Amino acid sequence: MAYSSAPEVGIRPTFEEISSSASGIGWTHVAGLSSEMYLPETIGPGCAFFDYENDGWMDIYLVNSGPCDFYKPSTPLRNALYRNNRDGTFTDVTQTAGVLGNAYGMGVAVGDYDGDSFPDLYVTQYPRSILYHNNGQGGFTDVTEKAGVAAPGWATSAVWFDYDNDGRLDLFVCRFADFDKAKNVFCGNRDTGLHYYCKPDVYRPLPCWLFHNNGDGTFTDVSKASGIASSLGKAWGVVAADINNDGWMDLFVANDTVPNFLFANRGKGKFEEIGVLAGVAYNSFGAARSGMGVDAADYDQDGWLDLFVSNLNREMYSLYRNNRNETFDDVAIPTGLAQLTKVLSGWGLKFFDFDNDGNLDLILCNGHPDPMVSRREADSKYAEPMLLLRYDNGRWKDVSAVGGSAFSRDIAGRGLALGDFDNDGRVDVLVTVNNGAPILLRNNAERSNHWLGVRLVCRRANPDAVGARVTYQAGDLKRQRVKVGGGSFLSSHDPRLVLGTGNRPKIDWLEVRWPPPGDKIERFAELPIDRYITIVEGRGTWT
Amino acid sequence: MRLFLIALLCSAIWTLSAAPQVANKSPANDPSVATHRGIALVESGRCREALPLLKRWIPHLNDKQLRYSGGMAEARCAMAMDEESTAVEVLVALKRDFPDDPQVLYITTHYYSELATRASQQLAAKAPNSYQARRLEAEALESQAKWDQAIGVYNGILKENSQIPGIHYRLGQALLSRAGASGHVEEAKAEFEKELVVDPHNAAAEFVLGELARRAGQWNEAAQHFSNATKLDVGFSEAYLALGMSLAAAGKYPDAISPLRSYVQMQPADAAGHYQLAIAYARVGNKEGAARELALQNEASAHNQDNQTGPP
Repeated sequence: MAYSSAPEVGIRPTFEEISSSASGIGWTHVAGLSSEMYLPETIGPGCAFFDYENDGWMDIYLVNSGPCDFYKPSTPLRNALYRNNRDGTFTDVTQTAGVLGNAYGMGVAVGDYDGDSFPDLYVTQYPRSILYHNNGQGGFTDVTEKAGVAAPGWATSAVWFDYDNDGRLDLFVCRFADFDKAKNVFCGNRDTGLHYYCKPDVYRPLPCWLFHNNGDGTFTDVSKASGIASSLGKAWGVVAADINNDGWMDLFVANDTVPNFLFANRGKGKFEEIGVLAGVAYNSFGAARSGMGVDAADYDQDGWLDLFVSNLNREMYSLYRNNRNETFDDVAIPTGLAQLTKVLSGWGLKFFDFDNDGNLDLILCNGHPDPMVSRREADSKYAEPMLLLRYDNGRWKDVSAVGGSAFSRDIAGRGLALGDFDNDGRVDVLVTVNNGAPILLRNNAERSNHWLGVRLVCRRANPDAVGARVTYQAGDLKRQRVKVGGGSFLSSHDPRLVLGTGNRPKIDWLEVRWPPPGDKIERFAELPIDRYITIVEGRGTWT
Repeated sequence: MRLFLIALLCSAIWTLSAAPQVANKSPANDPSVATHRGIALVESGRCREALPLLKRWIPHLNDKQLRYSGGMAEARCAMAMDEESTAVEVLVALKRDFPDDPQVLYITTHYYSELATRASQQLAAKAPNSYQARRLEAEALESQAKWDQAIGVYNGILKENSQIPGIHYRLGQALLSRAGASGHVEEAKAEFEKELVVDPHNAAAEFVLGELARRAGQWNEAAQHFSNATKLDVGFSEAYLALGMSLAAAGKYPDAISPLRSYVQMQPADAAGHYQLAIAYARVGNKEGAARELALQNEASAHNQDNQTGPP
């Protein structure tokens, strides 16, 4: 392992697993695993870092399963909201906040859809999802019916973003296949008794949902009018990102056993699905893979967002480098990523700079969806270790060994959220485990590296500044970070950007390009270091 | 295997008994009468007398059903009497005349297998120390995933004579298998390169070297090996696809089109070729060509899915 900052024996690992007794997070996911092997049982759950009270400290939301036509829990199950006590511990406030969930939960997307500065929660579920409006006083209200965003069916990942640049957050919801209890398919061999979770090609694909924010607490289903509903998929993961730098937010959707979607936003409320010719829909043999988690980031710092998809074992994960003309090349092989991931099945993932050296790294959680897989495939496992990858000289290198014990332990990883829960500038990680307890990882990396945390608040553009671009210069280091919408799998992240500078003690200048309709560039100098600041669109200063 | 042959013979006799009977016209030179007599002799276990009759008269038969019954009987007798060349001729004829018949396919499989077993036993008996006998032994070890033992045998052959064509290639394959999906391939790669020194016409070695380069993302090196493979074996369809894919991966879309077109002509039912060609066309601005190939890709994919049965 050639990694110069590997910790010495006795020193805390880069990612320190915080026990439930230390964190106070005692909640556990219950999948309701049954002998019928209903597919949703092996998929969830998702999680989120978000600051529901606006106190500057990241709280945690965790999604559980629940009652539905195929599952009747023997004891009541609920989601969990944990308030950050600002000392490394959390308090369960789910009951008082009123965010328990009411069906078989999958994931969560956080966004301030009404611009009241308090983040709201969209919880994806089977068979109907929930929109919880944050009332700003520690409580939430289920406004799903009024808002019109129940999205009947099996919803998975969701993302808030402003597709029509009207300054309000709209909602995209991934829908998986045509599934209910009556449509459950037996997969296995009745003679031998071998039964396993189906590969989803036995289920019919369905379109995803797109809801336009009307600005009055209601939404309009524009799935058909926008062109989104013309594409039938089996969608797991979604990221909203402007892949062609035209000022309109596009959508990249990971599908399972059918081609991935790249919905290019053509303005005027219309999307064009260009995945196939863009080169992101299939593998190089023209076959659809089992796309699960996704993210978008400019990992090579050429000014254009690249795309990542985690797939099933033997399929290799995909890293699509942006060719700057609405086409992409899968560079998983030449960058070494294919070799590192070929035996893994990936879910939650995210690009981030874990050690604040100024370069984007990548974290992934893994695990095959079928607990019986090792009986069929000798080289496959249900539970698999997480991966921590560093990009160095054009190659991705596995630096999981410095990550700590969490990276050597086999888990059925699913959701993954990033957030700096202790506000030390080192971004921490929350991973959810199917039918198990979540894993909270405190980031202890490189205290000698410097950073600046930035919270962006829009006035004209969407409140969460989704789509904003931040460019900064620190000595010889110039970097650009883009605030994409969503990414990972079923999960939502700390909305703040942490800008690493390595050992450079000062940021010379920082430029924010606000999303449309503002679309202005503001430049800032004389910035502090190693702390968080807030920049409000149009004010010309930071606080 | 002996029990299996007896079972097959019984099955054949049952088949022959069930065959429609034709009136005996009794002229000595009537092919139909003679074949029926031959079949009857087989039924009574008199292959020595039956075989000359069947060999002599079956080629003159017009009755397809009788050719089928007679051919089956002749094949069984030929195997029973160790007349291997006769057995092979009959199997080829049966396969030609009844290409989709399950019984023909079944006995063809098992008789060829039996012939292979006999040949390998002969090889082991007549020339136990020959490199051919040891190569066969190594290949058998490979089929049992005993990579270390197979590699040992191949190395033993090469120690005595490193210039035998095919051995470096087999050794390379065994090394690759032992290394597994994520293992090191340098040792194997060296063997494929040595193979090309011994046998510069080995298209398979060129192909594997190309594939190893492709997996490492060395597109230009991969393309060179795949190109060599297509020149050494113009019918090597996979090499055209791999060449096109490597050129496309290297961003050389105009160059990729020609090999990909060759591939889709050779393998029109494979969605991969149409997909790669569609992408290459799209990247050079040929939207019409791209749309056509995408339609063909969808058609091929749908056809392949239709041919898959049941849940995974």
